[in-house]
Amino acid sequence: MDGKNTNTEIVRVENVRKVYHDNGVPVDALRGINLTVSPGDFSVIAGPSGSGKTTLLNIVGTLDKPTEGKVYLDGEDVASKTRRELADMRLRKIGFVFQAYNLNPVLSALENVEFTMMLRGIDAGKRKRKSLALLEELGIGELANKRPNEMSGGQQQRVAIARAISNEPRLVLADEPTANLDSETAVKLLELMERLNHEDGITFVFSSHDPQVIERAHRLLILKDGQIVTDKVNK
Amino acid sequence: MIGKIAWRNILRNKRRSLILIVSIAIGVVAMVLTDAVSIGMMRQMLTNQIGADAGYIQVHKKGYQADPALKNSIADTAPVRSVLSTDTASCEVSERLRTFGLVSSAYNSSGVSIVGILPQKERKVTTVHNYMVEGTYLSGNPGDIIISTATAEKLRVGLGDKVVIMASRLDGSVGSEACRIVGLFETFDSGFDQTHVYIPMQTAQQMLDAPGRVSEFVVNPTDTKRTETVAAQIESDLPAGFEVLTYKQMLPILVMQLQLYDQTIYIFYAIIAIALIFGIVNTMLMAVMERTHEFGVDMAIGMANRRIFTMILTEALYLGVIGTAAGLVVSFAIFIPLSHSGWNLAMFSESLKSVGVGTTIYPVLAASSLINTILIIPLSAVIGAVYPALRAIKLQPVEAIRAS
Repeated sequence: MDGKNTNTEIVRVENVRKVYHDNGVPVDALRGINLTVSPGDFSVIAGPSGSGKTTLLNIVGTLDKPTEGKVYLDGEDVASKTRRELADMRLRKIGFVFQAYNLNPVLSALENVEFTMMLRGIDAGKRKRKSLALLEELGIGELANKRPNEMSGGQQQRVAIARAISNEPRLVLADEPTANLDSETAVKLLELMERLNHEDGITFVFSSHDPQVIERAHRLLILKDGQIVTDKVNK
Repeated sequence: MIGKIAWRNILRNKRRSLILIVSIAIGVVAMVLTDAVSIGMMRQMLTNQIGADAGYIQVHKKGYQADPALKNSIADTAPVRSVLSTDTASCEVSERLRTFGLVSSAYNSSGVSIVGILPQKERKVTTVHNYMVEGTYLSGNPGDIIISTATAEKLRVGLGDKVVIMASRLDGSVGSEACRIVGLFETFDSGFDQTHVYIPMQTAQQMLDAPGRVSEFVVNPTDTKRTETVAAQIESDLPAGFEVLTYKQMLPILVMQLQLYDQTIYIFYAIIAIALIFGIVNTMLMAVMERTHEFGVDMAIGMANRRIFTMILTEALYLGVIGTAAGLVVSFAIFIPLSHSGWNLAMFSESLKSVGVGTTIYPVLAASSLINTILIIPLSAVIGAVYPALRAIKLQPVEAIRAS
């Protein structure tokens, strides 16, 4: 997998500042963030609501642009990329897992996983085989033909993880992935992601204030008022 | 897969899609049937005029078309007869002596075109015999006349009554003849009815002191598509001094109307297309706005703008194609019986008769109408989706994902 690439850094964030304008009033969401993510990391960005976790994740995921500072993804300066190149970068290098799962409601579990591979131009037979294998690996092979509205939250989030890793990304960004799940389901899901990290070397960065997520993370970054106040290896 | 997603997105909001499909189908039905009725009406006007009087080809002495006076009739018909006898295989041929004159009764008189005909031959090239409402068509008996019910009313005469016809002879003197009304006709064209009376050829030639003269030879090819070919052949074989005219030259205004229609119909198509485009813009914009969050997610997972754009346009294309297909099915369901039985517009009979259409219109579905519909409607649907699709791809992923 690309996740096993030997590059020392997947993400480098340098002096990133993000200012929002709320009714004309500037609000500092991020204030001088410096951060690196290395291959194989299983990190969590924690912090209270409004601390800037999602904003940071969006910037790392190239969904949002910093007001100041630089973001490098796999050594490439994100700011120099066009919208089209950024979409391609996300397709090839990043997998997203959202709090609300965000599966395509008109596609089955299998098709949702296939979708990102289709966007990469992988032929139908290969992507179907791979999607089925992924769903099996994640323990939801029997749900392949179910639509999202026919699945539980935990099942949908597993499909979302399968979708996120289907293109063998360098990095999976998971924004509050357990927030909508009950604690038992959340634990199972975290175990799954830990296994993917451990066995397949997939790099995960979470944003979460769920203690179960924080507990399992190998590295803990705590954000407060837009600044990283703690960056430590989690024991 | 984009096509599959587009199709499923259409099925997502069945009611909205159905409303749009029905709107498109109504547009198609309006487009196809209006076109079919208009073309049918105009072709009917043309074929009526050809059938009533003009025929498909006429042979005259040169200058007759410009000045259809008795002096311009053909005195020596031998060269024409000779050519027609060889060039008109699979054609019906008749001949007439025509002049302007008066038809009078004891009460009134009316200016008319007095047409001397050979009834047996005339029946094969014109249709007046089909419109007899009283009495019979001419049988060839000298002194018989048929006039229209409108003329009979004006002259206050009826079947069996005598009327006097008068017209200038070649030498300038006035010829007249008392004729007995053996039949009354009423065609689809009130103007025609008021200005034509028919008498046997022999009576006309005698009254006008024009023995052997013929104003016009009428030639109707059995296969009317051969009109131009037959006319060209006759023209090339005839000696100088004659003119050969097809219905296009004899009825230029009607032919021009048909040609003009072929061009102006595009204005009508444009109106339908614009209305449809606005409908599609509105509906697709709603669909796009509802799916803002979804587009944000699509963008996040790396879906390129062009694919999102294509997906929205594909949805509109599907709607356009389904609407067009549904509209064509309904159009055919209305058109097929109507083309056989005709559309009876008796309530507008007066106005329709004044333009020579008749009270029953037989719609004609031209291949061009179908091709235009099949191309224009789905294309309009796609054009209508361009703006909503542009709106979708201009969304910022982060803001779009935040949308509920």
